[in-house]
Amino acid sequence: MARFDYLEPHSLDEALRLLAEGGDNTRLVAGSTDFLVRWRTGVWRPDSVVCMQHVPGLDYITWNPDDGLSIGALATVQDIEQSDEVRNRYPALAAGATAFAGVQVRNLATVAGNICNASPAGDTLPALLAYNAQCRIVGTGGERWLPLDEVFVGPGRTALESGEILTEIRLPAPAENTGGLYIKHSPRGAMDISAVGVASVVSLNADGACASARIALGAVAPTPVRAYGAEGRLVSQTLDAANIAEAGRLAAQSCSPIADVRSGADYRREMVRVLTERTLSHAVATAGNPPSYDDIRRLAVQTAW
Amino acid sequence: MTTTTQFKVLEQNHPRVDAYEKVTGRAAYASDVYLPGMLACKLLPSERNHARIVSIDTGAAAALPGVRAVVTGTDFPDVRFGSGALRDRYVMPREVVNFVGEPIAAVAADDEATAQEAIELIKVEYEDIPSVVNPLAAMVDGAASVHPDLESYEGYGFTLGHNVSTLLDADRGDVEQAFRDADVVVEDVYRSQGINQGFLEPMACVADVEPSGRLVIYASTQGPYQIRAGLAAVLEMPVSRIRIVPMELGGGFGAKLRLAFEAFPALLAMRTGRPVKLVNTREEVFTMNGPRLPVTNYVRSGVMNDGTIVAREAYTIFDVGAYLGAGPNSGIGHGIGAYRIPNFRLRSYGVYTNKIYVGSYRASGVADMTFAVESHMDHIAHEIGMDPYDLRLHNALREGDVSVSGAVVPSNGLIETLEAIKETMEWPRQLEDGHGLGLALCEWRSGSGPSTAAISINDDGTVSLLTGSTDISGSDTSLAAIAAEALGIPMSSVIVAKRDTDMAPYTGQSGGSRVVYSQGTAVQRAAEDTVQKLMALAAERLGVPEDALGCEDGRVYVMDNEPQGLTFVQLAAASITSRGGPIIGTAALSSMPYTPVFAAQAAEVKVDRDTGQIKLLRYVQAQDVGVAINPMAVEGQLDGGVVQGIGRALTEDQQFDPDNGAVRNPSFASYLMPLAIDLPEIEDVLIRVPAEDGPFGARAVAEPPGFGPPAAIANAVYDAVGVRVKQLPLSGERVLAALNGEYDDIPFDVEALRLAEGII
Amino acid sequence: MKQPLTLKINGENRLLLVEPFYSLLDCLRDEARLTGSKKGCDEGDCGACTVLLDGKPVTSCLVLAHSAHDAEITTIEGLADVDGLSPVQKAFVEHGGLQCGFCIPGLIMSATGFLQANPEPTEEDVRFAIGGNLCRCTGYNRVVEAIMAAAAEMRESA
Ligand SMILES: Cc1cc2nc3c(=O)[nH]c(=O)nc-3n(C[C@H](O)[C@H](O)[C@H](O)COP(=O)(O)OP(=O)(O)OC[C@H]3O[C@@H](n4cnc5c(N)ncnc54)[C@H](O)[C@@H]3O)c2cc1C
Ligand code: FES
Ligand code: FES
Repeated sequence: MARFDYLEPHSLDEALRLLAEGGDNTRLVAGSTDFLVRWRTGVWRPDSVVCMQHVPGLDYITWNPDDGLSIGALATVQDIEQSDEVRNRYPALAAGATAFAGVQVRNLATVAGNICNASPAGDTLPALLAYNAQCRIVGTGGERWLPLDEVFVGPGRTALESGEILTEIRLPAPAENTGGLYIKHSPRGAMDISAVGVASVVSLNADGACASARIALGAVAPTPVRAYGAEGRLVSQTLDAANIAEAGRLAAQSCSPIADVRSGADYRREMVRVLTERTLSHAVATAGNPPSYDDIRRLAVQTAW
Repeated sequence: MTTTTQFKVLEQNHPRVDAYEKVTGRAAYASDVYLPGMLACKLLPSERNHARIVSIDTGAAAALPGVRAVVTGTDFPDVRFGSGALRDRYVMPREVVNFVGEPIAAVAADDEATAQEAIELIKVEYEDIPSVVNPLAAMVDGAASVHPDLESYEGYGFTLGHNVSTLLDADRGDVEQAFRDADVVVEDVYRSQGINQGFLEPMACVADVEPSGRLVIYASTQGPYQIRAGLAAVLEMPVSRIRIVPMELGGGFGAKLRLAFEAFPALLAMRTGRPVKLVNTREEVFTMNGPRLPVTNYVRSGVMNDGTIVAREAYTIFDVGAYLGAGPNSGIGHGIGAYRIPNFRLRSYGVYTNKIYVGSYRASGVADMTFAVESHMDHIAHEIGMDPYDLRLHNALREGDVSVSGAVVPSNGLIETLEAIKETMEWPRQLEDGHGLGLALCEWRSGSGPSTAAISINDDGTVSLLTGSTDISGSDTSLAAIAAEALGIPMSSVIVAKRDTDMAPYTGQSGGSRVVYSQGTAVQRAAEDTVQKLMALAAERLGVPEDALGCEDGRVYVMDNEPQGLTFVQLAAASITSRGGPIIGTAALSSMPYTPVFAAQAAEVKVDRDTGQIKLLRYVQAQDVGVAINPMAVEGQLDGGVVQGIGRALTEDQQFDPDNGAVRNPSFASYLMPLAIDLPEIEDVLIRVPAEDGPFGARAVAEPPGFGPPAAIANAVYDAVGVRVKQLPLSGERVLAALNGEYDDIPFDVEALRLAEGII
Repeated sequence: MKQPLTLKINGENRLLLVEPFYSLLDCLRDEARLTGSKKGCDEGDCGACTVLLDGKPVTSCLVLAHSAHDAEITTIEGLADVDGLSPVQKAFVEHGGLQCGFCIPGLIMSATGFLQANPEPTEEDVRFAIGGNLCRCTGYNRVVEAIMAAAAEMRESA
């Protein structure tokens, strides 16, 4: 329990300046849900924290057909869970949000924080990957855009330079006939860290064949990862049971799970196969016809199918 | 048999006497105590699981500004204490640490942050000693010894060696012959996991030294007198110099029955002259305070083709960790279960290992035994092709049978609970693929122990009830109801006194299913004593003999002439100036007759064949409660207990590092207790066969609900998908492995144990 | 070093001296001496510390005290008034939705925040809404029953 100072910027510029001044001994916090737990267990010991909460204008979630969905750095996981735009257009992300902790943590935790914390088990991350999220990263030298899968470098490590801030996440507008789902595999229906999480998003052509498929896996590699092999197997195919089963097998092959207190490695790999199949089947079944919120909530946490 | 109608207070729902305090946040728990000048205490955990402490350098910590005192093991008197007769443990190790997490130094500082900084400045040099973590390995020749000098410890009664701390046994009949005569022999090995009690309020206490030098402890405890005795022993102080003030208890379930960490702030308060507060972190609760440790159970039965079980052999290995924080004491009789088995051999070994010491938890050990025995019952049923319900009914204990302890089984509701389950669950029933039903029978007894009560009448006829038991599970409300019923006054006329060890009469711990049953009996008798004294006074005032008087609804009257009488209020007022003085009724008792408690439970599950995960669809329990003192509270106990059992069945799993025994998952993020979202509504059926003893026929309620779920659910899984998982928890991973035929039986060398005993 | 901090707690401005690293929970308990919010884990896992920040339930152990200066904070102490208990509190008393009580302030705050936004919940909604609150004593049956009853009561009196 090391002491730290509390710094509160009221603009992005001020936040960047405080971070630059503090260097490695300072840490940015948003919802502080990861931060306070790590600090209490002695993992993080900054001299000061820069709290983003009071930087105005960053808590938005907006949608338009050109830019798609824009999520500000202070939008919380609960904001996402409650957003009609997200539920209707990005059901896999809504599922990731609804499967996330409990409401008290969702009301604090930010989506940007979930990304920057870069846990392989982050529940919004597979869906964000599957929707091709782009990240706006701002530093004292200006801003840059990075695709989300280039943001993750390792467990807890991102491509952000010291002093940089992730200010916005953008998800392109999905094609017409798109469906998606995220399923979290955990022993309980809430509050657990994912043992495995899988998001699938598929877009269908008018003839029902697969126009695009994106599958992302959580908690089975050092970072959340796309299952490119499985995706490739599906494009321009009809998404029948055999093809979906094959994609499940390829996804399972492509990951590199570890064993820990939650699960063994082989079981995790097998769950990747099962959840890939299930999320794909559901995505196909609901393409262009998003499920109700109640259905998303019931499906999002895999305690039993 | 229902006796509901005759009661005026019992068998009706009453809000808890402390409900208002609790829903407004006003109830004060130990961590809510703030005293002027109070210091914060923090503890240093051992990093090793078996090592000599070569040196502890506290210099830098003591020199840190704001630090007021630092103590280590050698600052305490050189005396061992124990949870029972065997004294195997120092309150803080002096030379040797026995588990990772064992507190080896304590600091008092102006605030928590400073105390924690000081802890991080303490330097410890260890010299490792060979250690052992697996209890089965600990029992083998040549294993490292956890307590090499065990035989010299006070209270040690065995010379079995091999780290065996205790051996309990029970034998009856000719076991070998009965096995030879049996048509079928069924044999199983089961393993249940480490379990944390999971109380929500971390251990906490505040120690204060009064100007007279008297030590006052504000405690989170189920056993104030037991803490007082423990402190007196380890601090070498007379009991009369210590006062324990039990604060509101935020759950204990057995974990707070005895001395825990109170000695640390106590000594620091004595050293500094200031109040000292210790509130454990959740991680400390998991790593310093004894949980239940894994149990391995070997069960073998000899069965006739008609389902009669003629022989039972059970060997149980209880890992007790570094110290005997709680014995396998409750376990032994439960190798039989709620059945009549004429020939048996039961053995329970307690085995030391270098991991956190074992603690108590809701009838310690019985849930482990019930999982084994009730899973085994289904295995038997399938072997001989009998319905599991019929097998249970066929072998169930009946009134007049002799229990394992030798006591004759009095009247009870066992059969009724089974029948109620059959009806509620519609057993047997055809189900969809992947769905299944499972049963379990639970068996327990009501607890005794020193119990006392005093009832004093106030000048307006209301009464004050004083007992020494701390409130657990709404026991204060139940005791008030018993007093009200016995006195014929409304609940609102009973004040339950807040108490501490100075003012309340000596009482046993609040635990082991004894409060309502034993303590309640004391209250009932104290009320009867009160009534007796009121009658005597009434006789005097009314000028008639006592046996001419009746008593009802707070009024004493002349039976031949009902209008002539005196109300309690009048008598109370009169007593104040009477010859005998203000009326106080008292009662005390220590042991109570054997009163069994039975419950039948059933689960309906759905098994996901691809993930192995179990979804609990329905859970029904029927329990013989005797009489429901406060049905709402009784059902609350049943619900809470069953849900703890469901956690044990499905998700809770305290894991230990195989090399150094350290707790691997010391948080609620990794030790997974059930949440509302995971549960169906629990269905409760109360069976009422009044106990021959106990207050108004009430039986203990709190413990049996937690025994059944692991077996009921495992049996339902078998019914659903045809695989039997013999290891808890029933995780998706284990069930899937079983479905894939990859599930290994648990190795257990029963021959070695029989040999050691010279049985074969 | 402790810094001055003004918090609006239960409708009242409180000027406190608070360490910069304190959580809102520590601040409420140690400095404001509002000990109704409980510390069951200090890791966000149990929900016993739940308070409302601008009407939304949050685990106060995960909030930096100094970041809460512009929020309306409601704690368990802020629910009852001189006229008596809030509907949720009353329902917990009447339906026996409590035992040891340590989880109860958190559960009541979660339920209060939830019902304000969802006056007509199903039982499944309620179980989802209290998914972040651990209770070891009650098995949740009577807790859920109490929250459903409070919802009905609030609809009636609305
Ligand atoms: C009880 C509990 C339950 C949880 N359950 C889940 C769960 O179910 N699923 C899940 O995925 N996670 C879970 N988490 C983890 C955590 O809540 C999430 O990772 C959350 O999204 C983090 O967001 P935050 O705003 O709280 O981040 P903070 O704690 O404030 O920050 C986390 C990290 O990200 C950095 N950071 C934050 N925002 C930015 C930014 N805009 N730019 C650059 N860096 C930034 C911080 O410097 C820090 O290193 C849980 C945590 C707790 C305590
Ligand atoms: S104390 Fe905050 S969630 Fe447990
Ligand atoms: S009432 Fe004890 S934890 Fe909920």
